[in-house]
Amino acid sequence: MHGPAALQLTPDGRIRHLLTTEGLPKSLIIELLDTAETFLSSQGQPVKKVPLLRGKTVVNLFFENSTRTRTTFDIAAHRLSADVVTLDIRTSSASKGETLFDTLKNLEAMQADLFVVRHSAGGAPFFIADRVTPNIAVINAGDGTHAHPTQALLDLMTIRKHKGDPAQLSVAIIGDLKHSRVARSLIHGLRGMGCPDIRAIGPGTLLPGDLEHLAVRPFHRIEDGLKDVDVVVLLRLQKERMTSALLPSEREFFNLYGMTESRLHLAKDNAIVMHPGPINRGVEIENEVADGPQAVILDQVTNGIAIRMAVMAMTLSAQKNDQS
Amino acid sequence: MSFIVRNMTIISPGSPMHGKTDIGIAQGMFVDPQVLSGGEEIDGQSAWLVPGLIDCRVNLREPGLEYKGTIASETKAAVAGGVTTVVATPTTDPVVNSPADIHLVLERASAVGHCRVLPTAMLTQGGEGCQLSEMAALVDSGCVALAQGNRPFQSRKIEFNALKYAQSLGIRVILDSESRDFAGGCAHAGRIGIGLGLSLNSPLSEILGLGADLDLVEATGVTAHFSRITTKNSVERIRKAKVEGLNITCDVTLAHLIYSESAIANLDPNFHLERPLRTEDDRLALISGIADGTIDLIVSDHSPHETGAKLAPFPETEQGMSIAEGVIQLLIQLDHQGEISFEDSMAAMTTRAACFLNQGSLGAIKYGNSADCVLINPNQTTEFDHSNWLSAGRNSPLIGTTLPGRILGTWISGQRIARR
Repeated sequence: MHGPAALQLTPDGRIRHLLTTEGLPKSLIIELLDTAETFLSSQGQPVKKVPLLRGKTVVNLFFENSTRTRTTFDIAAHRLSADVVTLDIRTSSASKGETLFDTLKNLEAMQADLFVVRHSAGGAPFFIADRVTPNIAVINAGDGTHAHPTQALLDLMTIRKHKGDPAQLSVAIIGDLKHSRVARSLIHGLRGMGCPDIRAIGPGTLLPGDLEHLAVRPFHRIEDGLKDVDVVVLLRLQKERMTSALLPSEREFFNLYGMTESRLHLAKDNAIVMHPGPINRGVEIENEVADGPQAVILDQVTNGIAIRMAVMAMTLSAQKNDQS
Repeated sequence: MSFIVRNMTIISPGSPMHGKTDIGIAQGMFVDPQVLSGGEEIDGQSAWLVPGLIDCRVNLREPGLEYKGTIASETKAAVAGGVTTVVATPTTDPVVNSPADIHLVLERASAVGHCRVLPTAMLTQGGEGCQLSEMAALVDSGCVALAQGNRPFQSRKIEFNALKYAQSLGIRVILDSESRDFAGGCAHAGRIGIGLGLSLNSPLSEILGLGADLDLVEATGVTAHFSRITTKNSVERIRKAKVEGLNITCDVTLAHLIYSESAIANLDPNFHLERPLRTEDDRLALISGIADGTIDLIVSDHSPHETGAKLAPFPETEQGMSIAEGVIQLLIQLDHQGEISFEDSMAAMTTRAACFLNQGSLGAIKYGNSADCVLINPNQTTEFDHSNWLSAGRNSPLIGTTLPGRILGTWISGQRIARR
């Protein structure tokens, strides 16, 4: 098996699958963001329809529940004129591995062109990408607590649009980084773009053990971590963190780490506030910030469609060129 | 049939024959070649003659899991790795739990097996960790030790009772120390596993489990063996416990001596093991544990699987590696790499293993002992590929590799075994 990062590139360095932002070259990230911007109209909305993927079949292969991400992939594929098939597959039996492999072979036989995969097991999209025939592209739409690269790219696109080159910025990520594929992929993406100051803010139970290796600075006090940052990224707090005794309560989390107007003053004056959604008002963020001028949360959603269009277009064009 | 093997070097740590250059084999035993009249002359080609290895942890999969491997296929694989005696784990389906099960394993081994098979049985009925097995009857029927495998005891109280009962009958127990609270997780909770977003197994699972088990062993006085230790912490605690006089032994798997957590970086499911591969620091501590004798045995923990068991994303694959047929070659490689001297690893798989099993006639090349031996040329190589692979389990990182050492001949009870 190839290394995970190598698997997603063609021999000449183009993007064949999108599996992770880890190790993704800066030039490719920029190309993806630039391509995504071409799919936005002058009003900043995604273009309604282009014929780029006419005759192509995109299969949404969701082994884990997701409405929002799946919908954005659906919309992106439709805007590119692709045919879209969505499969909701619940993994249940002990032999689900075989099921995944068999499902995959069956879909290949139906001549799909692109798989959008979400799976609860870290590495599942790599398993698929390693085994699909050469003319099929795989996009990771979230695997376990490992990676969510399209979310990271849309975050980078939003950051670049509002704040400029990440290589000049300070970014703070707040909350449950330990269980967050969004945070992990964003950190790799920011590192790829040369971001010099990435901070992680949260209690010891919610920060992962490899921050030092990622050159991310941990902070347990939000007042220390927020100082003079350009970008504030909030993460969704799952209810199960309380039942598994990682946190006492949502209330205590909000009291310690919730984004309030007064805390936001610690960041730079025009700092932006991001959140992958869906937001929990009164847990990660107070209403005044969520609805305030510094929040760019809905812009992230819009950019998400453009990014997914760009990823689909670029991976499928690399497939096409590979075969010719 | 009798043989005289000449022109080789005997490597049998602790034996008076160590370093000698010829040996006789007659009537199933090693004999003085001077007194042997007749017999086939074997040219040892300047190779090494070593005692047949004793592998104290092998999953033969029979009964019940024949789709993963059989006594026939897996003992054949073991012989190809220089092993002439295997200790079979009881975690079959059903588990080995009654004298009838023991007889079944022994009869299958004698009918179709390619090497000596010594069965073990579960400490608790059905392996469920609730009721004690009929330990005396199991030992009488030929079981060499009682183990709980990777199955938890329902409580520490039941574990205490099992150990106390075994102690009173003079029965050795094999423990896989693990704290239930921290068990599970497919990767070591280190940089690689965290980075890949895998479910994590903290070393605390072993640290807490071993601590509690050591206390129970001390409290009951049972003769205990700790199997598959993986952490530096475990090596240090066992070293200390031995100094304090506790009657314990332990083993490490070959995989944990060779690989560390970085082996899973490519998500190769062959490295998804029941005990995760840990840090390089841990690996080096395990190696030093072999060198100073803290770790008594090296085991293969050979775990063959059907192809489908590994055909899934890493966390969803079954655990274990098929490794038996490369055991002696891997030991030579560890020697060549300067990590574990061949004499140290031989001691851990011959003399100490025989002593552990109370099998005085095995594990050493000396007159009167059972003639179990392997003639191996360390300067030649063995290629492992799909066409010559013997184990039913192809879940092995060895396939497609070439390792140092080539077996020229194997004898078990004085019988020459056909070559690979």
